[in-house]
Amino acid sequence: LEMPKRRDILAIVLIVLPWTLLITVWHQSAIAPLLAIRKACHHLVKEIFIIPERLAVRRHRLSDDGAEGRHEAGQGADSKEYCSSDKDIVEVVRTEYVYTRPPPWSDVLPTIHVVTPTYSRPVQKAELTRLANTFLHVPNLHWILVEDSQRRTPLVSRLLRETGLNYTHLNVETPRNYKLRGDARDPRIPRGTMQRNLALRWLRETFSPNGTQPGIVYFADDDNTYSLELFEEMRSTRKVSVWPVAFVGGLRYESPKVNAAGKVYGWKTVFDPHRPFAIDMAGFAINLRLILFKPQAYFKLRGVKGGYQESSLLRELVTLNDLEPKAANCTKILVWHTRTEKPVLVNEGKKGFTDPNVEI
Amino acid sequence: MRLRFKLKTVFILYFTVSLFGLIYALMQLGQRCDCAERDFAKDHAISRLRGKRHSLLEQTKKLEPTKNPKPPLPTIYVITPTYTRLVQKAELTRLSHTFLLVPQLHWIVVEDSPHKTSLVSDFLSHSGLAFTHLHVATPRERKLQEGDPNWLKPRGVEQRNEGLRWLRETNRNRAEDAVVYFADDDNTYSLQLFEEMRWTQRVSVWPVGLVGGMRYERPVVEQGRVVRFHTGWRPSRPFPLDMAGFAVSLRLVLVNPEARFDGDAPMGFLESSFLQSLVTMEELEPKADMCTKVLVWHTRTEKPKMKREEAMLKQGLGSDPAIEV
Repeated sequence: LEMPKRRDILAIVLIVLPWTLLITVWHQSAIAPLLAIRKACHHLVKEIFIIPERLAVRRHRLSDDGAEGRHEAGQGADSKEYCSSDKDIVEVVRTEYVYTRPPPWSDVLPTIHVVTPTYSRPVQKAELTRLANTFLHVPNLHWILVEDSQRRTPLVSRLLRETGLNYTHLNVETPRNYKLRGDARDPRIPRGTMQRNLALRWLRETFSPNGTQPGIVYFADDDNTYSLELFEEMRSTRKVSVWPVAFVGGLRYESPKVNAAGKVYGWKTVFDPHRPFAIDMAGFAINLRLILFKPQAYFKLRGVKGGYQESSLLRELVTLNDLEPKAANCTKILVWHTRTEKPVLVNEGKKGFTDPNVEI
Repeated sequence: MRLRFKLKTVFILYFTVSLFGLIYALMQLGQRCDCAERDFAKDHAISRLRGKRHSLLEQTKKLEPTKNPKPPLPTIYVITPTYTRLVQKAELTRLSHTFLLVPQLHWIVVEDSPHKTSLVSDFLSHSGLAFTHLHVATPRERKLQEGDPNWLKPRGVEQRNEGLRWLRETNRNRAEDAVVYFADDDNTYSLQLFEEMRWTQRVSVWPVGLVGGMRYERPVVEQGRVVRFHTGWRPSRPFPLDMAGFAVSLRLVLVNPEARFDGDAPMGFLESSFLQSLVTMEELEPKADMCTKVLVWHTRTEKPKMKREEAMLKQGLGSDPAIEV
């Protein structure tokens, strides 16, 4: 009985051992990575939520269903959502507010190139300051500020440097005759045109059409008001995206007309709705690729009727059918065409009452 | 004999099955590359997240000393009166973007309204800021009528006083180190301004741009003290300052429970009516590099032209009022 027992044991060991080895190897190679990744993802998501809590910052989720940021409840559920696909992981990182400026640069998000023409006047520093305070919340934002001046002013240079934003500082002076008067011989160049065109040229010189850096181009005037949600809406632009703008055209807002299929078929404006693109400069964004593939497309300088400036560029880039409506199919207002009053400096008098060396 | 035979067959069967199993498993391992691609994407995401986490942790370490020094960072209570008009949401939006960048800021929004409006309530709850939402309606006789010039009646008086009342009520039993600042919703504020005012002991002052018909108004400082005010309009006022040009320590507000803005004061004396009972000119603390830098601007926003909207309304074709502007 002794011998068979040992042989039996040997037999059992011989049977079980390879299977154990096989199962261990299998487990390590195939299943474990997936599980480990999920676990790591959940863990990291929790950490990223916990850190802002320590900084006493509210988590703000930019979702259309109006859900507010919640820390305590549903953290587990949130991380499951976020860990199920790559897109959602990115979502986690970019909607956190941290007291550092600007948000860290992400390798995943397309860069938003914001083109702002500006010119010297008393409210310039104030306008640029509050614009910068908005931009400091937007990840992967590249500010292209183009001054209407002979050379770059120290006021703007210093301001840009102090904000900490990623920027490019350009300048081109609009010729004097075109700036002020408008008569038949010297038709007026709409303000900001040469500056925007310079920015387009700079983009074409800096980025190659074959490059892999995704980007969106947006024209933002320095006196408008922009919500943070707007920048996230435009980030997914494939060709040209559009949305409503408040306080333009003498209306509460102007908006593209969107049909049930989600396509733009017209323009809800009173002022000349039959323009090819009856939209304000702040109402659209263009994918950088489109700008680079059509290097001849610029804003028309002369002979442009009032309100046709935007069309002069867009008609060379895209047709009505290609437009992508954003802002919940163009039903939400995310940008306002505010205008700042010109300050009345009556008390300065002829010689100036205040010290001109103090910068305002 | 039978047993051995069975065992042999069993062994042979076993080895054959194992062999096929091993071959199958090896083939499976070979095919793993497909899943690995997805795994690499996940790995990239994980490593990115790790990078972000690392940078966030570093930021936490950097900020913790400034956020909780000995003593902790004083809170800045910003009182903003607001009223319903077309540009209200836009003004509050861009104001909130500035405030979000200021640590330890508590926004007290006081609506000129008999009840809280949903526009402001929704806006504040989504803003990400620490806030208090109050409301008090200006009595009819003190309200500006359509067509009245801006300077005819003082604005925001009841609302600012309501903000002060709330502060006094919530701080009855505490002596918090904090500062109170009156910020109108159409001005422009730089981030540096808030750091200048944070350590106010009594009342601190600084220049304000684009006000009083001048490029800027400012207190004049000699040897670290305010000696007079540089302003183009009625410089003989006790405190010829703009509302945006001073901040008061919460302690001073609590110690003087009767100090408030007087709506009946003559034009331009609103700020003086409040500050007179709190401080003298000699006690003022000059900020912004001895009052030589402009860190706040008294900007005003144009009223948007609604001619076409009004025409459309007459035809019954006005824009959708359900869409909030």
